[in-house]
Amino acid sequence: MKSRIFALAAAGLLASQAAAAEDMVFTSWGGTTQDAQAEAWAEPFTAESGINIIQDGPTDYGKLKAMVEAGNVAWDVVDVEFDYALQASNQGLLEPLDFDVIDRESLDPRFTSDYAVGSFYYSFVLGYNPAHFSGDAPESLSDLFDLEAFPGKRTFYKWSAPGVIEAALLADGVPADELYPLDLDRAFAKLDTIKSEIIWWAGGAQSQQLLASGEAPIGFFWNGRLTALQDDGMDVGISWDHNITAADALVVPKGAPNKEAAMAYIAHATSAEAQAEFARLSSYAPINLGSPELMDSEIRATLPDAQTAVQVNADMAYWAEHRDEIGNRWYAWQAE
Amino acid sequence: MSSTFALARPRMRKGTGMILPALVLLLAFFVVPVALLLSRSVTEPELGLQNYRELLASGTYAKIFFNTFLVAGLVTLITALLAFPVAWALVIMPRLLAGLLFAIVLLSMWTNLLARTYAWMVLLQQTGLINRTLMQFGLTSEPIPLVNNLTGVTIGMVYIMLPFMVLPIYGVIRKIDPAILQAAALCGATRLQALGRVLLPLAVPGIASGALMVFVMSLGYFVTPALLGGTSNMMLAEMIAQQVQSLVNWGLGGAAAFILLVVTLSLYALQLRLIGEPKGTA
Repeated sequence: MKSRIFALAAAGLLASQAAAAEDMVFTSWGGTTQDAQAEAWAEPFTAESGINIIQDGPTDYGKLKAMVEAGNVAWDVVDVEFDYALQASNQGLLEPLDFDVIDRESLDPRFTSDYAVGSFYYSFVLGYNPAHFSGDAPESLSDLFDLEAFPGKRTFYKWSAPGVIEAALLADGVPADELYPLDLDRAFAKLDTIKSEIIWWAGGAQSQQLLASGEAPIGFFWNGRLTALQDDGMDVGISWDHNITAADALVVPKGAPNKEAAMAYIAHATSAEAQAEFARLSSYAPINLGSPELMDSEIRATLPDAQTAVQVNADMAYWAEHRDEIGNRWYAWQAE
Repeated sequence: MSSTFALARPRMRKGTGMILPALVLLLAFFVVPVALLLSRSVTEPELGLQNYRELLASGTYAKIFFNTFLVAGLVTLITALLAFPVAWALVIMPRLLAGLLFAIVLLSMWTNLLARTYAWMVLLQQTGLINRTLMQFGLTSEPIPLVNNLTGVTIGMVYIMLPFMVLPIYGVIRKIDPAILQAAALCGATRLQALGRVLLPLAVPGIASGALMVFVMSLGYFVTPALLGGTSNMMLAEMIAQQVQSLVNWGLGGAAAFILLVVTLSLYALQLRLIGEPKGTA
C-alpha cells in the first residue's frame, strides 16, 4: 500500500516536472510594451512550440544580479536596456546566445552582440503640444534648451541612460560625430541652464500624461509614445532633428533554467514577422532587417527607420563601459 | 508603552512558544536578508569602510539625508497638529458621528496607497483641479507648483500618515476622565489653560508614540516621495532603490540602509527612555 502511494506520488512529481519543462519565464518592463510583446511574440510562439510563456516583471537589474549570484535564476529571457546588456555580459551575468538557433545575419548589426540581440529600437525625439506655442514651432534640440524662445516646463527621461546627455551636447553645438567620449561637464552645464524647468518622466505613460495634460508642453520622448498619442487623436508636434536611437535587448541570465526554450523564444521574437508585428503594435522600430518590407508604408513612415538621415546613434559600447560613472554623476546632479 | 509590557509580563512565559512562527518568519525573510545587504556595505567593491566614507563625505548624500529628516520632521509636526483635534473630536462626539469620523479616518488607510498617491498627483499638478480652481477665482494668475517638490511630498505624506497619528492619540485621550477638564474649569482655568496644562500633558504619551511611528515610517518612505517629489528633494529610500536597482551598487545602497536602520533604532531607544519609562513608573 505504502509503495503504491509512493509510486503515485513519484508519478505525480514526474508529471509536474514535465509540465514545468514546457514553461519559461519572460521578464520585461510591464505596461503597453510588454502587452505588445506578449501579443506579437509570446502568444504565436506558444501556439507554435507548445512552450508556455509566463510573463514576469518589471525588469530589475539588482534582482537579475542577485539571481545569478545566488545560482537561483527564475528568469529565462529578460528585456533590458542595450547598454546594460553589454555591461552585464562583461560582468559574466549572461549566457552567450546560440546563433545556430537565432539568425544573426538577419538582425541590425547596431543592436547585436554575442550575448544580446535587440528587442526593439526607438528614438528619443523632441515632442511638443502645438496649441502651446502660438509663434514658431520648436524644431531643433537647441529649441528644447531655449527657455527664452520656448518658455515653460519641459520633460525629460528621469533615469541615467543614453539620450538626454547626448541631446544636451548636441543642443550646445557639439557635432554628432564628435559626441564620444561624452563631455559630461559640458552636458551638465547645458542641462543646468534649464534644470529649474525640468519635470522628469519615469515611465512612458507618465511622459504621455505630462504632455497631454499640458503640465509640460514640450519635452524629449520615446517616439512610440508620441505616435500613440497621435493615434488617440491628440495634436502632437514631433521634430526628428537629431533623433537619438537607443535600444532594448533580449538576454538570457547565466544559469537560466530553460536555456533551450529561451533561445528558441529569442529566435522567434527577433524574426521578421514577429518584429514587424511588434512594431505595428508599439510604434517602436524593428531590429530585423527583413521586417520593414512586411509592414504598411503608412506605419513605416512613423518609425525611426524612416529618419536615418537626421539620426544619431547613441554609442552603446561607450555607455556599457561608463554606465556606473555616468549614473552616479547623473543622480548626484539631479539631487543637487 | 511600558505599562502594556508590565501588564503582559506575567502571561508571557506561558505563551512564549507561540511567537516562534513569527520569529522564524522574521529571521528568514527580514533579519537574514538585511544582514546580507549590510555585510555587502563593508565588502563591496572591496573590504573596508569606503562606502560609508563616500556617503558621509559627499555633499549630495548629505543633502539627501537632510531632505529625509526635513520631510519626516515636517510631516510629523503637521500630522500631530491635525490629528490632535481629530482624536479629541472622536472622544467627545456622539457615538454615531464618532463612528462616521472613524470610518473616514480608517477608510483612507485601507485604500490602495498608489491610487491615493496618483489621486494627489491629479489634484496638485499645474493643470489640476486645485490650480484650475484657484485661477478661475482669480486668486492666482499663474499655477502654483504644488507637485514635484517639497510641498507635494509633504501634502501627500501628511495625508497618508494621519491615521497613524490619530489612533495612538485617541487611544490615550479616550482614557482621560472628562471630569478632569471640569475640575480644571472649576479651579478657574480658561479653556486654553485647560487644554495646554491639563489635556495636552496627559496626551503626551499618545502624541509621542504617534510621532515616533510617523517619523520613522516617513524616514523610510518610498512611493509617495518618488511620485510627488522632484529629484532635488530626493529622500533616502529612493536613493537606496536607485543604487540597488539601477546602478547595481549594493555596497553604497547597503551603507545607506545601515545608516537609516541605526537612526531608526536610536530614535526608538530614545523614545523608550523619554516616554516609556516615566509613564511606566507613574
